[in-house]
Amino acid sequence: MEYIDNIPIYLQIKDILYRKIISNEYELNSQLPSVRQLAVQFSANSNTVQKALKEMTDENVIIPQRGKGNFVTGDVTIVKKLKSHIVAEMFDATYEKLHSLNMNDNEIMESFNNYVKQREVNHE
Amino acid sequence: MAEILKISNLNYKKNNKKILTNIDLSLDSGKIIGLLGENGAGKTTLMRLIAGINSLPEGVITVDGTAKKAEIKEKISFSDHLNGFGRNTKIKDIEKFYLNVYPDFSSKKYAEISEYLDLDKEQRLSNLSTGTLGKLVIALALSRETKLYLLDEPLSGIDSMSRKKIISSIIRWKSDDSTIIISDHYVTEIASLLDDVVIIKDKTIYQVSSVEGIQEKYHLGVEEYYEQVYEGGVSNE
Repeated sequence: MEYIDNIPIYLQIKDILYRKIISNEYELNSQLPSVRQLAVQFSANSNTVQKALKEMTDENVIIPQRGKGNFVTGDVTIVKKLKSHIVAEMFDATYEKLHSLNMNDNEIMESFNNYVKQREVNHE
Repeated sequence: MAEILKISNLNYKKNNKKILTNIDLSLDSGKIIGLLGENGAGKTTLMRLIAGINSLPEGVITVDGTAKKAEIKEKISFSDHLNGFGRNTKIKDIEKFYLNVYPDFSSKKYAEISEYLDLDKEQRLSNLSTGTLGKLVIALALSRETKLYLLDEPLSGIDSMSRKKIISSIIRWKSDDSTIIISDHYVTEIASLLDDVVIIKDKTIYQVSSVEGIQEKYHLGVEEYYEQVYEGGVSNE
């Protein structure tokens, strides 16, 4: 695992797990790997993994079941909300950069539309 | 969390030269703690003092509530770099030795770890690469069922593939209630493993910080923070 040095690892782990949930790699209602398995997978300490899972529980994205482990929520609206949140985060940085080039919202929208069209052409 | 280790007012001299001065330290159980400091800072000496190998002239060390040396020894697994064994000793004979000497040595755990690390029990110490020797040291240390593990530079001089396996075996086989102290002078690779770091500088404990605290408060990686401490760039709290 490659981590960003100066961001708490539990936040980075949480982010990776959230992306797996919104991309459906971890499906609704499915069981997550155990803390130990995740710790090995993420080369991180179990306490760190626990902390990531605790926040995910507090945010209602996963649900711990006593003696069984952690399950992804079955509530699709929670996952949708999570997805729009993560997408917004990804756009934030790009939007700021474009804005700093003195582009207004219309120009940003237009260049984004052109960009998507161009990609479609390239992929055909 | 319970306190696994408490050191009060420890001073240690060797040949009249101060090695460690005014050491006070308290650590909670269940964590993985990095003991950082440059070569010669006194990391190994501090571990040897905690483990009761070096005698303690001044100060008190309490491990899991006891200050009695014989009881402390039973609560600590200290990584042994196996220099006391003849070069012709086979791995299986070292295992036998551990089994005889340490009542808490778990053959089951050792079998699991040595299989994971690909240790061949018929090999002799003289035939082991530095990486394999490092794996053996870790397998033996982790196979004791103790409260506190002291791993003295377990990754030093070891190739990156073996490092990864060693790190991963620490994660796999650390029991939740045990505490591990790992010393190193190079932090980046173990940073993801650590809850807290203890930095030794100028013969004393300069600072105890949580890794998260360093990242959140200073927006630094542990390595950068540690370098800044050594360069005098971060204010002591």
